[in-house]
Amino acid sequence: MAKDSAAARPRVGGGRGLDARSQEAIGRSLKAHYEDLVRAPVPDKFLEMLDRLEAAEQSKPQGAADESG
Amino acid sequence: MSPGSFKDDLVAEIPGLRAFAVSLCGSVTTADDLVQEALLRAWSNSDKFQPGTSLRAWLFTILRNIYYSQYRKRSREVQDSDGVYSRGIAVEGDQESHLDLVDFRTALAKLPAEQREVLTMVGASGLSYEEAAAICGVEIGTIKSRLSRARTRLSELLGLTERRDNRSNRELVAASRPRGADDPTDRE
Repeated sequence: MAKDSAAARPRVGGGRGLDARSQEAIGRSLKAHYEDLVRAPVPDKFLEMLDRLEAAEQSKPQGAADESG
Repeated sequence: MSPGSFKDDLVAEIPGLRAFAVSLCGSVTTADDLVQEALLRAWSNSDKFQPGTSLRAWLFTILRNIYYSQYRKRSREVQDSDGVYSRGIAVEGDQESHLDLVDFRTALAKLPAEQREVLTMVGASGLSYEEAAAICGVEIGTIKSRLSRARTRLSELLGLTERRDNRSNRELVAASRPRGADDPTDRE
């Protein structure tokens, strides 16, 4: 259970937030995590769905959007 | 605004929206359901979007509402059932940094959703404290304290807190991983 390891029992000094280095390390990892997700290819189904929605809207007669009456 | 340009704007936001969704729910499968529904709602409510304001923030708000109203319970049960979240969905070339990412995501997944979302919005998506506060419907001070708690907890989970030497994060994370232990920090 890693009882002997100090690293496994971290303490936050004074509860006053993290030191700058830890903050920076977390910030970097967070951005790497996010960038990795952002770089993933967008599934076609989203683009196809938006294409369908757009096509449906454009095929509507001009007056059809005006249904407030 | 013409529908065409609105669509292009939506398309441009999909990668970021997806990244936010994955960070929020911890599952790529669920995230894609969320994104699809959010896009659908955004499209049918496009007249409610105020040009000049942040489309990203607006989409995050929509997606977040869907998540909390419909998916949260479900996704807690199936969190990372596809295992893709911790592995990553992008093709990762650098094996070493990939390992870092797995560690980081494992830790991130242990945070409460309200901390994870704030961390993602402010720390990675480039939203301001003000935008995050508006999206979550809380005060800016609440956003700041959630951020602070999230960072503290992450640093505990990653074993960063007591490491004050000059090494890089990669080495820090690697050093904090005990030999043979699958999950040394899961003590809740």
